[in-house]
Amino acid sequence: MKLSLTGLNHNTAPVEVRERLAFQPALLASAVYELCHTPGVQESVILSTCNRVEIAVTADDSVDVSSTLSDFLARVREVDPQWLRQYLYHHQEKDAIRHLFRVASSLDSMVLGEPQILGQLKDAYEVAKTQGALTGFLDTVMTRAFGVAKRVRSETEIGQNAVSISYAAVELARQIFGSLRGKKVLIIGAGKMSELAARHLERNGVSEIAVTNRSPERAQAMAELFRGRIVDYQNFVSVLPEMDVVIASSGAPHFILTREAMRKVIGARRNRPMFLIDIAVPRNIEPTINELDNVFLYDIDDLRTAVVQNRKGREQEAQAAERIISDEVERTLTRLKAREMGPVIVGLQQQLEAVCSGELERVRSKLGTLTPQQQEAVDALMRGIVNKVAHGPIAELRRQASEPGGHTVIEVIRRVFRIDG
Amino acid sequence: MQELSIFWLRTAVVLYSLGLAHALITVLRRETTWFRPAFGAFIVAVILHAVSLVERWFAVGHLPAENFFESVSLCAFLMALVYLYVYWRYQFASLAVLAFPLVFIMALLGATEIPVAAWSSPRLRDAWLLLHVALVLLGYAALFLTASASVFYLVEERKLKRKAVGGFNRLPPLGTLDNLINRSMGIGFALLTLAIIAGATWAYIESGTRWIGDAKVAISFATWGLCLVMVFLRTSAGWRGRKAAIMSLAVLGSSALTWVAHVGLRPALMR
Repeated sequence: MKLSLTGLNHNTAPVEVRERLAFQPALLASAVYELCHTPGVQESVILSTCNRVEIAVTADDSVDVSSTLSDFLARVREVDPQWLRQYLYHHQEKDAIRHLFRVASSLDSMVLGEPQILGQLKDAYEVAKTQGALTGFLDTVMTRAFGVAKRVRSETEIGQNAVSISYAAVELARQIFGSLRGKKVLIIGAGKMSELAARHLERNGVSEIAVTNRSPERAQAMAELFRGRIVDYQNFVSVLPEMDVVIASSGAPHFILTREAMRKVIGARRNRPMFLIDIAVPRNIEPTINELDNVFLYDIDDLRTAVVQNRKGREQEAQAAERIISDEVERTLTRLKAREMGPVIVGLQQQLEAVCSGELERVRSKLGTLTPQQQEAVDALMRGIVNKVAHGPIAELRRQASEPGGHTVIEVIRRVFRIDG
Repeated sequence: MQELSIFWLRTAVVLYSLGLAHALITVLRRETTWFRPAFGAFIVAVILHAVSLVERWFAVGHLPAENFFESVSLCAFLMALVYLYVYWRYQFASLAVLAFPLVFIMALLGATEIPVAAWSSPRLRDAWLLLHVALVLLGYAALFLTASASVFYLVEERKLKRKAVGGFNRLPPLGTLDNLINRSMGIGFALLTLAIIAGATWAYIESGTRWIGDAKVAISFATWGLCLVMVFLRTSAGWRGRKAAIMSLAVLGSSALTWVAHVGLRPALMR
């Protein structure tokens, strides 16, 4: 029995292929069920997200798992198996465990360290579990993967710091104000990007989002979105003293907020800090405003730089995460092998004891009546023989437990001693 | 006649102390509901203060500005008048945070001209001194917290201004630091004010009027004054951020100087 994994992800397949192969949630359960009832397959789990499809199974050694799985995927998703093959990767045993751990820990994600994947993997696990498709080996590996992901998250900082521009803006706002509760936001210029940033801010508890836009219709639409008020575009500077965060993305070809105006605003606010985000190109806010005390002005490039640095930070953390995963893969393998060894060792001992007592039975009548001391000596003799003979194979089994080629040795010992099961 | 003048002045000091209480509440609790009664008491105190000065004028036959006590009392009176004028002319009520404590402390010093009888018990004398020392040290601890938070603030502010925000950041947000600075500064100021009142009255009873000319004493009043200015700038003039953080470092430095100066103070206080 061995663990195999076949799949494709954002690195091996373009989005056209991934969307073609993604499983509908409704279809997933029946596919898992069907797969684990394929001859030779014991367990199965299917993870399908917009960035990847992963199929993991445990199957008999005799089965050619990689072609079984790619054929299965081609059949279920109704695509040409030949065409599909070029996008797939296959992992077995140790590599499959490592791959599952890396996926769970978000090391294989498009956005390194993003947290959704663990939830998606847990969902996939639930589906397979309810279909009765997880019963032993794979179940253990999956459960362990959740533990590994947790460990990676708590021991490294891979999930820290924003890696998208709109979220970076929110992190900065938090770094300036602490809590965003009760803070007021003004959006200048109703665009997609400012909407995204405002949505993030809203989720973090800002109390008011006001909108101003050159065309009042767009302002109206956006204001409705956030249940905020509309500010007159010509006069927006007059409301600035009450605003804590300003997101500027208007299409104006010149600065609409000058240093001089801002100096008055900050005075009127009695120096309470302000965070200005200028995501417009060309820029809306005079850059030298950043030199004023208690004003923090970030343009689109500043935010991008922050994002790039955060990504770099995550990559460094990813190396630490890889070390954790290697460590966990080894541990899991040892545990699983040891679990597999257990029955073999017991079987070996029972087999040897059966041989001994069988032989003794045959000669028992020829020995006549034995004194208790003699009986004891005979028992000790047999125990000694069983232990001496079993010692070599058992030691070898234990040693092979952590070796990659352990399987063959177990098989050889099973066959040599005629252990079944 | 001198005693009568001092009596009026001491009554004025008691009324001025309401103004001090108002200032402390403003700094600590950020509420100004006490302003009305404090302001009323302040006006009555100014009238009594004027009575005291007039009494003294008649007694000595000229403007009472000859010795330290007379001049400090007169100065406090003039400052109170200036404050009332500014309040009446510009409606600048929040200047009270600066004016009330200053007028109170100066009037208090002016009222210590005539020595009183010695301590009723040595135990009270020691406890009083201990109270003064404890208040000072607690005040310094609060100012130290203010200054450390200010250092963090400066580091963090610099990072945000230079946009060096990538990577991992373990400093608290600016807003949190600013709150911490405000809170610890308010507490530090309140403790120092109480300490200086305790210290001044102790020294007054212990050594009569001689201690007032000591340079070390002057340093401690200067430190308190600096602290008062910082508190005023932060709470009323809206100073915050970088400038205020630097200011709190200056106050801590001045406090350290005062501490060093006071290590050798004891002999100077001995009768």
